[in-house]
Amino acid sequence: MSGNNLVLPIVLWGRTAPTHCISSLLVLDDCSAVITGCHDGQICLWDMTPELQVPPRAMLFGHTSSITCLAKANACTDKQYIVSASENGEMCLWDVNDGRCIEFSKLACAHTDIQFYQFTIGTQREGRLLCNGHYPEVLVLDASSLEVLYSLVSKISPDWISAMSIIRSHRTQEDTVVAVSVTGILKVWIITAEVSRMQDLDPVFEEESKPIQCQNCQSISFCHFTQNSLLVVCSKYWRVFDAGDYSLLCSVPSEADQGWTGGDFISADKVIVWTEDGCSYIYKLPPSCLSASEHFRSDVGKTREGAVPPLIYKIADQPDKKLLICPPVTRFFFSRREPFHKLLIQGDSEGRLSMWNVPDSTPAPQHSTPELPVSCTLSLQESFDGLMPVSSGIIDQLSAQPGKEQPIKVTASVYIPAQGRLVCGREDGSIILVPATQTAIVQLLQGEHMLRRGWPPHRTLRGHRNKVTCVLYPYQVSPRYDQRALVSGGVDFSVIVWDIFTGEMKHIFCVHGGEITQLLVPPENCSTRVQHCVCSVASDHSVGLLSLKERKCIMLASRHLFPIQVIKWRPADDYLVVGCSDGSVYVWQMDTGTRSHTRPYLNLLCVLYYVLQGNLPKYSHNALVVQAMKTNVSDPDMHVLFFDVEAVIIQLLTEEAQRPNPTLVSPRACTRIFKQVKETMKETIKEHLLDDDEEEEEEQRRREEKSKSLSLLEYNLTMDTAKLFMSCLHAWGLNQQLDLICLERLGMLRPHCPISFGLISRGGHMSLMLPTFKESLLRKLSVATGRKLTLSDIVGKGTYGLSRAVTTQHLLSVISLANTLMGMTNATFVGEHMKKAPTRPPRPGGTPESPRRGSSAPQSSPPPQAHIKQGWSQLAAMHCVMLPDLLGLDKYRPPLLEMLARRWQDRCLEVREAAQALLLAELRRIGVSGRKDTIDLWAPYLPQYVDTVSSRESRPMKIMKFNQSQTLDLTQKKRTNRVASSLRSSLPS
Amino acid sequence: MSSASQVERAVLEEEFNWLLREEVHSVLKQLQDVLKEASRRFAMPSPGLESQLKQENFILGSEGVLTLQGEALTQADINLKMAKSSQVLHFQFRDDKHWKLQQIQDARNHVNQALHLLNCRDDSYHFKTGAEVNKLMDAVMLQLTRARNRLTTPASLTLPSSPPSADAGDVMVNFYINLSKLCLTVYQLHVLPPNTTKNFKPAGSSVLHNPGAMFELNNNRFEVSHVHKVECVLPWLSDTLVFFTISLQPASSSKTR
Repeated sequence: MSGNNLVLPIVLWGRTAPTHCISSLLVLDDCSAVITGCHDGQICLWDMTPELQVPPRAMLFGHTSSITCLAKANACTDKQYIVSASENGEMCLWDVNDGRCIEFSKLACAHTDIQFYQFTIGTQREGRLLCNGHYPEVLVLDASSLEVLYSLVSKISPDWISAMSIIRSHRTQEDTVVAVSVTGILKVWIITAEVSRMQDLDPVFEEESKPIQCQNCQSISFCHFTQNSLLVVCSKYWRVFDAGDYSLLCSVPSEADQGWTGGDFISADKVIVWTEDGCSYIYKLPPSCLSASEHFRSDVGKTREGAVPPLIYKIADQPDKKLLICPPVTRFFFSRREPFHKLLIQGDSEGRLSMWNVPDSTPAPQHSTPELPVSCTLSLQESFDGLMPVSSGIIDQLSAQPGKEQPIKVTASVYIPAQGRLVCGREDGSIILVPATQTAIVQLLQGEHMLRRGWPPHRTLRGHRNKVTCVLYPYQVSPRYDQRALVSGGVDFSVIVWDIFTGEMKHIFCVHGGEITQLLVPPENCSTRVQHCVCSVASDHSVGLLSLKERKCIMLASRHLFPIQVIKWRPADDYLVVGCSDGSVYVWQMDTGTRSHTRPYLNLLCVLYYVLQGNLPKYSHNALVVQAMKTNVSDPDMHVLFFDVEAVIIQLLTEEAQRPNPTLVSPRACTRIFKQVKETMKETIKEHLLDDDEEEEEEQRRREEKSKSLSLLEYNLTMDTAKLFMSCLHAWGLNQQLDLICLERLGMLRPHCPISFGLISRGGHMSLMLPTFKESLLRKLSVATGRKLTLSDIVGKGTYGLSRAVTTQHLLSVISLANTLMGMTNATFVGEHMKKAPTRPPRPGGTPESPRRGSSAPQSSPPPQAHIKQGWSQLAAMHCVMLPDLLGLDKYRPPLLEMLARRWQDRCLEVREAAQALLLAELRRIGVSGRKDTIDLWAPYLPQYVDTVSSRESRPMKIMKFNQSQTLDLTQKKRTNRVASSLRSSLPS
Repeated sequence: MSSASQVERAVLEEEFNWLLREEVHSVLKQLQDVLKEASRRFAMPSPGLESQLKQENFILGSEGVLTLQGEALTQADINLKMAKSSQVLHFQFRDDKHWKLQQIQDARNHVNQALHLLNCRDDSYHFKTGAEVNKLMDAVMLQLTRARNRLTTPASLTLPSSPPSADAGDVMVNFYINLSKLCLTVYQLHVLPPNTTKNFKPAGSSVLHNPGAMFELNNNRFEVSHVHKVECVLPWLSDTLVFFTISLQPASSSKTR
């Protein structure tokens, strides 16, 4: 995985917003953001403005199944952490500000609800997460490490807990957990100080257990206004109980066939209850439920069923709303700080958030119940539609449809790093081959390429009659395959084999009776026959082994009863193992195609599923990796460009070292260079290894040229990657002079609009900025600076005002790359050397897609070496030291010291140097008081004897250096021991 | 577009609407009936009436009798012949202690959740899109698969975390459900000397540990010397499993349509 590598993602979302069928919802205490989790496992962060607008900011990736609950996970205001749990037991702790994953864990049990609570332990308040779910206990977890501390257990008829609420009694100073079990038994646990101090897994038994006849309990909430009543909502009725002795005060049935799904108190005498179809009702409680009233508890023991209290407001769903595919999630939120909002928030299957401001006043009695108007409603797709310019997809310029606004959607794609090519299968059945950096430059950056039509040069393969569902380049997985073969599958039931160099259709397999869903490569140690096959899976529940060599299907395994989810191999036994969605497993003999066993209910399946669903990208050591992602199978692909800074640097340096000295070129070398320009780097290497093949290759090449000129490979991939990357990272618009140097001397290009970056954090968790992030950023910066900003004001420099973690990553990358480029000869992105091939005249008879270049591009001679080096050094200097001053502190989020400190000893020298320079610059910037604060912050995590050192004010820098060499993390207190030992060794003797 | 294909389109649309209106409900009804039947087998205790639950006795091989009430084992009368000695070990539950089979409770709750989902969408509900039906089926199938998995995959236990036995210090007992079988494993333990020279390798988690597995508990090291495993079939559980399989099929086939 990403591990320690400095990898930066850039996202091209395309025009279609990702599917976001909301399954859970959370509003932050300070009303700064709404967080939604969806059935596909992603989490969306929506910024909330004081005017109750909710522009979506970022999407968090990492969970592999449906999000079941979200909860806040810390109490302080400077850091905002949330915890998320998914159906398969994963839990994750996120920083809301930058979308970083702080901690993650996996338990065998699935939580359905989590509540954050601070228990008082002595003088300290410790954050705890109370979880309930598909297990009979309430688990108490540490809110920062996600470790299970202890559990609350039922002695009497233990069963799953459906809902739970935590009450702090002012009278007894005890924290009480009230819960209702699936069978309708109310359980009460009292958390005393002794209990909270417990560290071992001793169970805590309930204090009280009382059957309250509440089947299908949906929610339980405590009245924070009077502290005297409890609202229990079940699907067929809601009830109010006395919070003291849990006696029933009133019970109200649901209307007609609607089922209640939750409710809350909105004031001392009013409750809001909502249904599964998205309607909400506000009721005034009868006097018997109000502790202030003289009739309080007057009905205890004789409550009438069916008496409906007066309905004050009704909140119906909007009639113009699109049809929903599952019940929406509704929450009531009451902020206890300024601006004291009382909000009803709803998230639905369309990825839409709706908000209602709930008034405190009661309207005059009317004939019919008044309806509350919606305050704000926005879906993810609407926010995408409202963007100007629209969010671009990876090959939008090649996919424009005449007469239609939407480009043709990309439905499947694969990136071939060795050739720098991206293969995109589209919904109209065509497949596009395009150089990835070139097409990304078109989408992201401004430049002369904007004037060219059909740019970049690409090739279209036509063969599928309908949507392409998967593409596979087998050679990339294993070199045993022909490097020309590209395989694609479509909804037209066919699998097509292409020659990637000539664009020829080699073979069509029509063996399946359903849409192709997956294409896979068998492992190395299969029999030779199987080794030349690809495995195809289709929606008619069949699996085929298609031999690319023999051009026939050597095995077709069908008659599976359920959709196929996973394919595993056991080459030693010649077995193909098919896992179906119902949990059954079929084992097939590969060479004979006989079904050897059917074993339903195999334990290992759970493991297999987990492997399958990990849809996070794998990284290889390529400077650029383009990964297609989709949140839902029905979505078009969105593309994430992963830049590995270390790999870019290595490639740049390797090329620099290999650069031939012009005076020493021998005729032999000449021919080699000539070959090199025509073939990919990979091919060249192969040529050198297999010199005998040269003639054949030559002939092959001649054939190739005859068929069609591709001109995909005429660009220096490394330099192009660096160009794209540097152009995206540079803080444009801060220094006019430097911008000009960048554009003219260094050949960088200015972005069209702020770029959606991402952040990779622990365990491959990833946060990706939605294209709408700029709206919220713009608004925030406008407020901060007090003047209206436009989008072009924040191009480039805007990203440095996003979050501290993002700033750190970006500065590290831009400085280390600028330093690398500074050390290279001719390191500019303008000029002849950017092209690998000599310009050839356009071929007659070329397709319209073939490029027309050369004529319009003015060939400026590259500026002298010294000027280029000076340009890079200016660029590095600006990002290293001048940025805070140029941007102004209100628009700048300084880098994180601990992230820089971790790179103090980075294995990549350039990154290490950049980190050291940045860290020193940042330490200088924060001044003596800042350094003192930093030490105070970290001191508790260092062993005691270090404190005596850190109190020596004369040497704060020294202490920081100790930290730098170690990976210190606030959440990982365990590591302090290691730090201590290394500190001991590094202390001056 | 030709009129023929328009007519065709209209017919298809009509058919699809019929599917949503009639067919889906008949499938749901069928599913609901099957699940109700499955749920009935679990003998849901009504609050306050736990003691009135039906008691079922099961004969564990030739070794003894177990009484299951709902999801808890309430009584046991088991005689096990110990290895290498003619001694017979006799087990009984204390009157106030029951052995709760969490697997049964979990499976029952999952089935009930599936039923609840179906109850919310009865005949009177009009499905508007196919996606809606798919989503519902996904949710129902998820619960059913979970229920079945709970019964088919007994939770694996690390030895120290397996529930300690009644009184005999050197014996550990574990009851679990595997498919439709109620299984009992008894581990005979052998205390290792504290500073043993023998390689101490703590055993991981497994449903069944073999003789030789070692573990540490309360600063004492133990080695499993003998394992006894006896099992019996719970007929109603095998019924339920069949019901699950039966109900998954229409659910999935209606999805594919």
